[in-house]
Amino acid sequence: MVNPLVQRELIGALRQKRMLFLQCGLAAGFALLVIIRWPTDPRMALSGTRSQEVFRLFGYGLLSVLLLLLPVFPATSIVRERNSGTLALLLNTPLGSLRIVLGKLLGVLGLAGLMLVLSLPAASACYALGGISLRENLLGLYSLLVLVVLQLSALGLLVSTYTTTTDAAVRWTYGFVLLSSVLTLGPYQFLQGTESYLAEVGDWLRCASPFASLMSLTGTGDVGAVGLVSTTDVSGRFACISLVLTAIYFLWTVSRLNHTIFDQARDAGVISNDQDFGTQLIRRLVFLVDPQRRSWAIGPFVNPVMVKEFRCRRFGRLHWLLRLIAICAVLSLGLTYATVTGTVDWGVDTIGGIMVLMQVALLVLITPSLASGLISTERESGGWPLLQMTSMSVSRILWGKLLSVLLPLLLVLCATLPGYLVMVYIEPGLKLQVQRVVICLLATAGFAMLLSAAIGSLFRRTAPATAASYAALLAICGAPLLVWLGRDAPFGHDTVEKALLINPVAAALSVIRLSGFRDYQLIPGNWWFLGIGSATCLLVLVVQTRRISRPQ
Amino acid sequence: MSSDKPVVVIEHLTKRYGNFTALEDLSLTLKAGQILGLIGPNGAGKTTAIKILVGLARPTSGTARIGDADCVADARRIKHLVGYMPDRFGSYDNMRVREYLDFFGAAFGISRQKRIARIDEVMETTGTTYMRDRFVESLSHGMQQRVGVARTLLHDPQVLILDEPANGLDPQARIEMRDLLIRLAKLGKTLIVTSHILSELSRICDHIAILTHGKLRAFGTIEEIGRMVTQRRMIEAQLNSAEKIAAASEIIRRAIETDAEVIPSPEESSIRFRTALSEGQLGDLLTDLVRGGIRVTQFRELQTDLEEAFLSFARPVEPSNPVQSASTVAAAGGVAHG
Repeated sequence: MVNPLVQRELIGALRQKRMLFLQCGLAAGFALLVIIRWPTDPRMALSGTRSQEVFRLFGYGLLSVLLLLLPVFPATSIVRERNSGTLALLLNTPLGSLRIVLGKLLGVLGLAGLMLVLSLPAASACYALGGISLRENLLGLYSLLVLVVLQLSALGLLVSTYTTTTDAAVRWTYGFVLLSSVLTLGPYQFLQGTESYLAEVGDWLRCASPFASLMSLTGTGDVGAVGLVSTTDVSGRFACISLVLTAIYFLWTVSRLNHTIFDQARDAGVISNDQDFGTQLIRRLVFLVDPQRRSWAIGPFVNPVMVKEFRCRRFGRLHWLLRLIAICAVLSLGLTYATVTGTVDWGVDTIGGIMVLMQVALLVLITPSLASGLISTERESGGWPLLQMTSMSVSRILWGKLLSVLLPLLLVLCATLPGYLVMVYIEPGLKLQVQRVVICLLATAGFAMLLSAAIGSLFRRTAPATAASYAALLAICGAPLLVWLGRDAPFGHDTVEKALLINPVAAALSVIRLSGFRDYQLIPGNWWFLGIGSATCLLVLVVQTRRISRPQ
Repeated sequence: MSSDKPVVVIEHLTKRYGNFTALEDLSLTLKAGQILGLIGPNGAGKTTAIKILVGLARPTSGTARIGDADCVADARRIKHLVGYMPDRFGSYDNMRVREYLDFFGAAFGISRQKRIARIDEVMETTGTTYMRDRFVESLSHGMQQRVGVARTLLHDPQVLILDEPANGLDPQARIEMRDLLIRLAKLGKTLIVTSHILSELSRICDHIAILTHGKLRAFGTIEEIGRMVTQRRMIEAQLNSAEKIAAASEIIRRAIETDAEVIPSPEESSIRFRTALSEGQLGDLLTDLVRGGIRVTQFRELQTDLEEAFLSFARPVEPSNPVQSASTVAAAGGVAHG
């Protein structure tokens, strides 16, 4: 008997108009990838290098598309049903949690399968160029992608059982995707070539990233390899890790899907002020700023919308910010200290590179989650008409909302300044570089905030707003790095430099003169891009906010 | 607690979205302390009228004034004069009731000291003090509705506009909400309330406006509306026994209009009939009954049920016969003034 959920999930999604646009866009995009690198030279390359270059680009493009587009479907699947009340109905049927999860998983796999099928004509074109093995290259690539799809779908469903809102589900899922596919590459980048337990851990960690596996599959080598050849079977390890993780995520999701998901008492609204002195003291020591204390009335000269934004988001509460800032400060100082004391054989540029990467990753991870729902959440929850009915002007509301994102971002960036100061103390010649890096990071924070807020303001619901903001930001920060990965072959220096010009990560890394980026002159071109981009996004945000505030 | 000065004045209000007319030529007036029940089927134009009043929509033509502020030209002043509770609560995650009210108080520019006192006051009025530390998203629907009313009261508005305040409430919560609204009217607030629960409206509202297809079909007190449904009043004569019910029916038939309906009910020892007779003529009829040896224990007019009135006005109107609705309103005295 066919699982009725598969039909509903798949056909329900395919009926949406945006799916049609998505499919057409994907087909066109894949075709474009091949056309861009299609040989125009009438001579035949017997070595097949040219077709390998096309195939490499196609593979990275396809993987990026899956990572950017797929997670949103499983991430919102269960939480949406739960909030609309249909999950309770489903659990009340004889289907059982196993079949429900299986049905949902198969539904997402169907969508992913459709995406992969759409890429087949482009894959055939690559194959027709010659120089590509059907079994090793094409089959290998699609096997890798199937594993990625399985892992992402299972992860998204699991996250969906834990979250209470669709935007939180999207946020956490994209966070985990970024963590598992990009950030896992970080330790290996810096530990490769060393003989230690940590190096082994770093080696295994990078095998969890589909990018490492794809690079191994397409013969590109390792990320940031500085002439070192790795003998690790990256693809084999990735397959093992991916399958194990998929099985764990799947079983975990099945175990979560029962009455306990609803069997929760309403929050009693316990307040620390009403508890005994000992409890209050412990909470004070643990949280510093206790989120459970009775808050003060909003003070004069403070934008009420800013305070409201801080109060109504879990992550925005001060105790979380303090933790984040403390971690940033400790990490940056720790890294610098390790270099100074000579325990790690890294140069100042490497330390700077790690710090920049960490900061940008943090910005990319938290900015859309803070900024994308500024307007859409109000529209979704019905709060916008209430705000309109207050005596605050639209510009004051908008300013309060932007401030609520800007302040945490600035605090997080400021927390890493001590690390940079120590770097300048060690090597005074780095002063100008550090100044430029700080400008890059500030520009990145501003751009990320305005881009996310502007994109988010175009949506009525927070989940698609968050997904679109993450996709746009990851595309700007990630896509040029794909071109960078193909530096020297198939892309020349100029092409890579032009592509990196829009990338704030690359700009900061080039300023700090990290290996692989020091040859590109990205400043001030990148600042211009971020400046113009930020101004455009601000304009879109203001116009859109005014538009929705106008009386009908 | 009504005063003579009109607080809400709506004149010839029309709103069109392209070819679709959401509201057509709406006119009505309300005084301080009055409660207006705005009723009509879905898509009748109630929300459109409310949105225009609170400044969230612009009329195509006509004017609406609250106090001395025009709803279009003085949009900023309207925000201080009106407390608006939409049909959706407008919840924020992770916020406690007190923080929620504090935010809206600050957004209305109420100073900190005044705000602290005012929040206590509105929570007392709406009976929400005990839930001040609860998270708004964890409140039950009834509790949220009460917090919603508290929010609308924060800036002490002259007029409260409540869209479906009793929607989804259990009987107990509905009674509490009803008492709360009556209490607010006694404080001198003018209330405009929409609801689908007509029995609730009939208990709290002193005026009713029935909208269908964007047009005002009837406006007035419940009694006036009842009379609009039919020009003939329903009278009930209760007898002490069913013995002389046939004789009584004969006397009544002779006195009232020839085509009028007379419904004797021997089981209940009563006779019901519709008539357009005046009060004096009805007095004469009662005298005739008594003279005829019929012992009448009760002789009274039955109120036309609001639901009956609503159904009567909400009947689909033939587009080719728009005069029907206009004449109905005209028959009731046109634009009634409260």
